[in-house]
Amino acid sequence: MKRKFQLNHYLLVVIVLALVIFPFVSDSRTWTILLTQIFIFSILAMSYDILLGYTGIVSFGHAMFFGMGAYTTAVMLKRIEPTMGMFILSIGVGMLLAGLISFFIGLLTLRLKSHFFAMLTLAVSGLFLVLAEKWRTLTQGNDGFTFKAPEFFKDRVMFYLVALACLVLVYLFLRRFVNSPFGRVLVAVRENEQRTRSLGFNPLHYKVIASVVAGVIASLAGSLYAVSLRFVNTSVLTMDITLDALLMTIIGGVGTLIGPIVGAGVIELAQHYLSGLAKEYPIFERWIIFFGIVYILAVVFFPRGIVGTVREQIWKRKTKKDGSKPVPKKEVL
Amino acid sequence: MELLINLTINGLATGMLIFLLASGLTLIFGLMSVLNFAHGGLFAWGAYSGVWFYSLTGSFFLGILGAILTGAILGFITEKLIITPVYGNHVQQILITLGFMLVLTEMLKVVWGPNQIAAKVPPYLAGSYEFGDVLIIKYRLFIIFVGFLIFGIFQYMLQKTKIGLVVRAGVMNKEMVQALGINIKRVFLYVFMTGAALAALGGVLFAPYSGVIYAEMGFEFAILAFIVVVIGGMGSFSGSLSAAILVGLAGSYMAYYVPALSLAVNMMLMAIVLIFRPQGLFTAKG
Amino acid sequence: MMKTLLKVEELHTHIGQYHILQGVSFEAREGEVSVLLGRNGAGKTTTLKTIMGLTPASKGTILFEDEDIKKRPTYVIANSGIGYVPEDQGIFADLTVEENMKVAMRKEDDATLARQEYVLDLFPDLKTFWKKDGGHLSGGQKQMLAMARAFVHESKLLLIDEPSKGLAPIVIEKVMEAITEMKKSTTIVLVEQNFFMASRIGDRYTLIDDGATVHAGAMKDLIQNEELKRKYLGIG
Ligand SMILES: Nc1ncnc2c1ncn2[C@@H]1O[C@H](COP(=O)(O)OP(=O)(O)OP(=O)(O)O)[C@@H](O)[C@H]1O
Ligand SMILES: [Mg+2]
Repeated sequence: MKRKFQLNHYLLVVIVLALVIFPFVSDSRTWTILLTQIFIFSILAMSYDILLGYTGIVSFGHAMFFGMGAYTTAVMLKRIEPTMGMFILSIGVGMLLAGLISFFIGLLTLRLKSHFFAMLTLAVSGLFLVLAEKWRTLTQGNDGFTFKAPEFFKDRVMFYLVALACLVLVYLFLRRFVNSPFGRVLVAVRENEQRTRSLGFNPLHYKVIASVVAGVIASLAGSLYAVSLRFVNTSVLTMDITLDALLMTIIGGVGTLIGPIVGAGVIELAQHYLSGLAKEYPIFERWIIFFGIVYILAVVFFPRGIVGTVREQIWKRKTKKDGSKPVPKKEVL
Repeated sequence: MELLINLTINGLATGMLIFLLASGLTLIFGLMSVLNFAHGGLFAWGAYSGVWFYSLTGSFFLGILGAILTGAILGFITEKLIITPVYGNHVQQILITLGFMLVLTEMLKVVWGPNQIAAKVPPYLAGSYEFGDVLIIKYRLFIIFVGFLIFGIFQYMLQKTKIGLVVRAGVMNKEMVQALGINIKRVFLYVFMTGAALAALGGVLFAPYSGVIYAEMGFEFAILAFIVVVIGGMGSFSGSLSAAILVGLAGSYMAYYVPALSLAVNMMLMAIVLIFRPQGLFTAKG
Repeated sequence: MMKTLLKVEELHTHIGQYHILQGVSFEAREGEVSVLLGRNGAGKTTTLKTIMGLTPASKGTILFEDEDIKKRPTYVIANSGIGYVPEDQGIFADLTVEENMKVAMRKEDDATLARQEYVLDLFPDLKTFWKKDGGHLSGGQKQMLAMARAFVHESKLLLIDEPSKGLAPIVIEKVMEAITEMKKSTTIVLVEQNFFMASRIGDRYTLIDDGATVHAGAMKDLIQNEELKRKYLGIG
C-alpha cells in the first residue's frame, strides 16, 4: 500500500515537471492557451468536488463565486491599475468576498434538504447574475469590458506557469484538507448525517466551512479566468459555468481530487476538437449534448466517474490476486 | 386605470403559464419527492413541437394537441429512463434531471436549429377587446381562461375521482397507499406524464404570447416555477395556483414600476419562504 | 391440526446500514391470533413491515399460502389478501373518514359496499364522524378507522401493530371486541405490548428480542411461564 502511494507521488511530480517544461519545448500557442484553460477549470472543478464529492451537497450556484473572482479582478485591474501587485491583491479581495458571502449563504441555507438547497442556490446565483446585468456602470452587463493584464503576463507562458502553480498549490492544499480529521468528518456527513450528529459533530458547521473553502477557491479560478481572457462579461455568472464544473466533476470522478482535473482535461479537449469538427459537421456544434448523455450514463452506471471506476478496477484486480474478498467501497453519491 | 388593468391582465396571463409548469412539478414532488430539474425542458419542447404542428397543419388547436402529446410522450420517457433508475436517491435525482435538462435543451437546437423561431397568434385570437376605453389583448384573456379551465378540471379530478383521491392520499402517505393494494409507481407514471403534458401546454401557449421561442426559455420559466412551488407549498396543487398568480402579478407590476428588481423580488420571496417557512405560504399546516 | 397460512423463516432485514432483523421466524395458523411480543426496539414493527414489503428483506423466506412473497412489491402483497394496520395507523390526515375508506376499496360495487356496512357495524363511532378529516380524529377513532380500512376487503391475513397503544382501557376493550369479531373470518398477526390484551385474545406467541425469535409456543404456556415473562417482557 505504502509503495503504491509513493509511486503515485512520483507520477504526479513527473507530470507536473513535464507540464512546466512543455511551453519551452513546444511553441504551440493553441496548446499553451488550451492547457491554461484546463488548469483554471481544474481548480474550479476541484472546488466543486469539495461540495459534491466530499460533503454530498449539490449546489447549482457555484458560478456565483467564480464570477465574483472574475469581476473583482477585472474591475480592480481596469479601475485602479494593471499591475502584478494589483492582480494579487484582487485575488485576495475576491477570495475574501467569496468567503464572506458563501459563509452567510451557507449559514442560512445549508440546513435545508438537498432539493431545496439546490433550488435556492440556483435562485441566489440567478440574483447575482441579474445584479451584474443591471449594475451596468460597474460591469457593462452582457457586453462586458476588456482590460489590460499586468505587463508580466504579456508572455502567455508566464501566465501558463502561474495558472499551473495555482493548480498545484490548490491541489496540495485540498489534499491536506480532505485528508485532515476535518475532511474525514465531511465524508462522514456525506455518508450519514444523522450518525455524524449523534457522534457529537454539528453537520451544519462542517458544511458551512466546506462551502466557504469551495467558494474561495472558485473565486481564485474566476480571477485567473478573467485575466486569461483579459475580458469579462456576465457569462461568468451563468449556469453554464456551474454546469461545466458539474460535468467535469461527475465525468472525471466525484470524491477524488484527481477526478475533476481529469474531467476538466477531457471536457476542454473534447470541446476544442468537437467545435473544430463543427465547421464540417454542424451536429458537433452541439457537442455539449454528448457530454449531457455521458453525464447521465455516468450518474446511473458509473457514479464514481473515470478516476473512481479505474481505481475500483485496480482494487478489484489486486484483491483477486490476493484471493481475499473485495471490500465494497462506499457509494460516493 | 387602463395601465393598471393591463398590467394585471398581463401578470395573470404570465401567472397562468407559470402555473401550468408549476402544477405538475408540485404534484410530482408531493407524490414521490422527486424534484424534476428537467421540467423546464418539457415546457420548451411543448413550445417548439406545438409551433411545429401549428405551422404544419395551420391549426393552432392541433398545435396545442400536438404539444400536449409530445409532452406526455416525453414525460413517459423521462420517468422510465431518467427518474426510475435513481429512484430514492436525492442527490442522484437532482444531478440526473439537471443533466437531462441540458440534453433536452440541446436536442431542441439539433431538431429545430439554434435560432429563435417566430410564433404568431392565430387570427381568431388576435386583436383586442374594447371595454369602454380600455383595450385588452384577446390572447392574454385566452391564456387566463385556459389556465382557470385546467385548474378547474384538475381540481375536480383531484377532489372527486378515485384516481385523484389516490394521488392526494399518496402525497400524504405513500407507504400506506401501497399497503392498501395500490400500485403507486403506476400512479406516479400517470402523474408524471400529466405534469409533463401540462408543462408542454404552458410552452405552446407561451409561444404566440411572447412572439418568439428559444431554447433557453425552458430554463427561465423553470426558475419561476421553482419559486412558485416553494411559495405555494411543495405538493399543493391549489397553492401553486395562488403562488403562480402572485409571482406573475409581482413580476408584471415590478417590470413596469421598478424593472431592475422584477426577477430579484420573486427570487428573494422564495429565499425568504424557504428559510423561514419551508412548508410554503399557502399551506395551512404549521 | 390447523393449516399454516404464513410462515416466516430466518428473516433478515437491513435498514440503511443497520442490520435490524437478524433471524425472525414464526408462523401464523389459519383462524388463530398469533401475537408477536418483545421489548421496545425488539423488531416487531420491522417484522410486519418486512412482510408487507415496505422494508425489503435481505435474507430468509416469507411463505404466504406456500408461496414466497419476499420479493413482491407491497401492493401485490396487499392484493394477495394481507391487510395491514400500521403502528402509527397511517391515516390520510386531510382526507375524510369516508375518503380514507374509499382509498382502500378496490371496487365500489354492492358487495363491497355491503362489506363496508358490516365493517362499520364493528366500529359504529366511525359513522358518526363520516365526513370528518382523518387528522382530526382522536387516537382511538384513528385506530378504529385504520382497522376498518384494512378489513374492508375479506383479507386472509391481518397484520395489526399495537392497536392498544396510547388508548384508554375502555377503548382497548372495544378494540379487543372488534378483533375477536374479526378473528372469526380471518387470521391475525398481532403485535401487542399490553400483555393483558395479548393473553386474552392470542392463541400463540412469538417472543422477539434484538431482532431474532427467542421463544415461541402456545399462549397459555407463556401465561404460566413467569421466568420468560420476566426475562423478555419485564413483567411477572
Ligand atoms: N428507519 C430506521 N432507521 C434506522 N433504524 C431503525 C429504523 N426503523 C427502525 N429502526 C430500529 O430498528 C429496531 C427495531 O425497531 P422496531 O420499530 O421494529 O421495534 P419494535 O419492536 O416495533 O419496538 P416498539 O415496541 O417500540 O414499537 C430499533 O432499534 C429501531 O431503532
Ligand atoms: Mg413497533
